[in-house]
Amino acid sequence: MSATPNWAIRLATCCVLVTSCARHDAAPTAAASAPPGIQYEAHVQAGGRPSTGAELNNPLHGNPAAARDGAALFVAMNCDGCHGGDGSGWVGPSLADGRWRYGGADAEVFSSIYFGRPKGMPAFGGTVGTTGIWSIVTYLQSLAPPANVATESFED
Amino acid sequence: MTNVVRSLAVLLLSTCLPTASIAAAPPTGSRSSAQDDGQWSMPAKDYAATRYSALTQITRTNARSLHPVWTFSTGVLGGHEGQPLVVDNTMYVVTPWPNVLYAFDLGKEGYPLRWKYRPAVSPNAIGIACCDSVNRGAFYSEGRIFYNLLDGHTVAVDAKSGRELWKTEVADNAAGETVTMAPLVVKDRVIVGASGGEFGIYGWLKALDAASGKIVWTARNIGPDAGMLIHPDTFKPPYAQGADQGAASWANDAWKTGGAPVWGWLSYDPELDLVYYGTGNPSPYNSEQRVGDNKWSNSVLARRPADGALIWAYQFTPHDNWDYDSTGAMVLAEVKVEGRAVKALVHFDKNGFQYALDRATGKLLNATPFVPVNWATSVDLHSGKPVLDPTRQTGASKGNVHNICPSLEGGVSPASPPAYSPHLGWFFTSTNNFCMDYAATRATYLKGTPYMSVNSPYIAGPGGHLGALVAWDAGAGKKVWQIDEPFPSWSGVLATAGDVVFYGTLDGWFKSVDATTGKVLSKFKVGSGVVGNPITFRGADGKQYVAVFAGVGGDWALLSGDMRSDDPADVRVPLEMMKQIARHTSQGGMVWMFGL
Repeated sequence: MSATPNWAIRLATCCVLVTSCARHDAAPTAAASAPPGIQYEAHVQAGGRPSTGAELNNPLHGNPAAARDGAALFVAMNCDGCHGGDGSGWVGPSLADGRWRYGGADAEVFSSIYFGRPKGMPAFGGTVGTTGIWSIVTYLQSLAPPANVATESFED
Repeated sequence: MTNVVRSLAVLLLSTCLPTASIAAAPPTGSRSSAQDDGQWSMPAKDYAATRYSALTQITRTNARSLHPVWTFSTGVLGGHEGQPLVVDNTMYVVTPWPNVLYAFDLGKEGYPLRWKYRPAVSPNAIGIACCDSVNRGAFYSEGRIFYNLLDGHTVAVDAKSGRELWKTEVADNAAGETVTMAPLVVKDRVIVGASGGEFGIYGWLKALDAASGKIVWTARNIGPDAGMLIHPDTFKPPYAQGADQGAASWANDAWKTGGAPVWGWLSYDPELDLVYYGTGNPSPYNSEQRVGDNKWSNSVLARRPADGALIWAYQFTPHDNWDYDSTGAMVLAEVKVEGRAVKALVHFDKNGFQYALDRATGKLLNATPFVPVNWATSVDLHSGKPVLDPTRQTGASKGNVHNICPSLEGGVSPASPPAYSPHLGWFFTSTNNFCMDYAATRATYLKGTPYMSVNSPYIAGPGGHLGALVAWDAGAGKKVWQIDEPFPSWSGVLATAGDVVFYGTLDGWFKSVDATTGKVLSKFKVGSGVVGNPITFRGADGKQYVAVFAGVGGDWALLSGDMRSDDPADVRVPLEMMKQIARHTSQGGMVWMFGL
C-alpha cells in the first residue's frame, strides 16, 4: 500500500475547489423533456423504457463535515483496501484522478457504490445506507486531481 | 556484481565444488542430461520444486548466442506469473484472468494452436483478488491439464482435445476467497488452496479426486484440530505441543477470520509421502486483533496426500505483524549442514530468513538472513522461534513503527520461486531490497471486503539497488554471488545442468547467467516486465529451448501506479521511488521462446 497523505490537507484544497468549480449536473438543456430515469445494471425496464424520476443530486455536495464522514467511512468500510489510501488506486481504479469508469456525476458515483460494478466492486447500498454513500461521494468529489493527469514525462 | 563477490565465488568454487556435488543428490537420485525427459510437466519441474533441468545443450560458453525464436501474445494484460508446461511436443499456457488455456503444437512451423480453452469465469473475482488477477500455472498428469480459475474453480482439461473434463467450485468469492496458485497432483489427488489473506478468509487446503473433481478432503490451516485434520497420534510438531493450537493461539476466536491463505507452491516427497506447503499471513494486518502466535499462519505444513492428515508444522513467523507470508516454495534438497548431509526442506521466507528444516520432522537446521533483516535478530535453533527486536513490533496502539526490514513485499516474493542446482549445491533466488514504516489501525471485518488496515510506505534498502538475483549456499547460509537490479526482482529462476541460470527483470530484460560466477551471458528486452518463471525443454527438433512469460503485473505494477495504459479512467501518480519503471515497461502478456 502506498503512503496516505493527510486528508485534512486535501479537504482544505477541496473547499476551494467546491466554490470555484462549476458543477456539470445542472442539466441546462433538459428542462423541456421528462426527467431522466434512474438506471442501474440489474434494473428490469418495463417495456424496455426507463422509468421516469427525479435526477439524483448529492444533497451533501461540498459539505466539509460530510466529506470528513466520507473519508472515515472510506476507511471503515474497507474501500481503501482496494482503492488505496486516499483513493489513489490499487487493485481497484484510482478515485483521485478526476477520471471515472462509470461516470463522475453525483448519481453515477452514488450508483457505483450503492449497486456495485463489474470486476468486483461490491454493492454497499445495504450496509452503508443512503446518507453514508452521499458522504463518501462528497469525500471523493473533494479529492483534487493532480495538475497534469494526462502526460507523464520521464525526461528530467 | 562486485569484484569482491566474484572472487569469493571463484574461491568457493575451487574449494567446495567436489564436496558440494557429492552432497547434492536430489531426492529422486542423480541425473544426467540423458535422464532428463526434456519436458516440463509440473510448475516447478519436479516434486522437489527445484526448477532445475538436467539438459546441457545450453552452456556457459554458448549461452551468449541465445536469441528469440518464437513469441505469442496471450491477449491478456494481467500479471503473467507462473510458467508454461511442455509435454509431448505441446506447450500449455494459462493466462491471468480470464484464465485462458492455450495448447501450442511445437511440431509445426510457427507453433500454431492445437486448441484453446476459454472457461466461464466471473469478472467479479478480479476485485476480490488482493493483488492483480494473476495465475501461477497448471499441472499435467496422465493426459490431463489441471489448473485453477480466479473465481474459485478447479478445472481438468483433456490435454489432447482441450475438452473440459470437470469443473469444481472450491473457493467462495463472497467470503473473499480467490484461487491464484498452481495445483499439485499426487497420485489421484489434485491439491489446491485459496488466496484471501487480505480478506479474512478461514484458510484451507483441499484435495480433489483427479478423475471426478469431487472434493475428497478439506484441511483448514488454522482453527481447531478437527478442521485442521490433526490426529493426536500422527501429528508430531517439532516444537509446539498440545491440542487445538490452531485455535488456542488466537485470542477471541480470531482464527475464524484469520486468513492463512495458500497462494504459493506445493512440493512432495514420495519417500516420506508428505506434501509440503506454506501458509500466508494472518488477518487482519493489525496484530492486536488476534493476540497469540496465530498458528498455523506463516508456517510450513506437511500433510499426507491420501487423507490430508497433518504430520508436522513449523511456524516461521509467530504472531506476524508485518505481513510476512510463508507461501514461498519449499524446495526439497540434500544440503550439508555442519558437515552432515541432510534431507532438507529449504525455504526463502518473506521475513528475510532462509530456513533449512529436516523434512521428515520439521526440525530447524539453520536460519540465516539473505537480505537486510531487523524485525528479529536471529532464529533460536533450540526453540525454533525468532529472537524479536522489541522496537520493530507493530500494532494499532503502537502508532507508526519506522524502518522495519524487510518490507511487506518480502525479502523475496513468494510469487518468485527459487531454483536449486544439485550439481553446484546452490540456490538461486530473486530478492527485494526494501524496508517499511508500518502504521496499523483497527480493522473492521466485512465479509468479502479487504481486512487489513495498515498504512505502510516503503523505503529503499541499503546499497542503491531495489532488487537482486542471489546465488546462495543454504547449508552454510552464505551468499555466493549477487547481481544487483535497479528494480525489485519478481521473477522465478531456472537452473540447468549446463550451469546456466535464467531469470527476468521487472523492467523487461530476460537474462542468462553463468551459474558459477554470476556473470550475465545474454540479455534480451522482452517488451514487458517479467514476473513469471522460466522453463527449459527439448523441442521436437531435439534442441534445447527456454521459455518465459513477459507481462508485468502483481504488486509492483499496482504500486508503481503508472504501468497501465488500457484504462483512461485510471491514471495514477507514479510511485516516487520507482519513477522510472514505466519508462521501461507497460502491461502486455507474451510467451517468449529462446534458442541457440
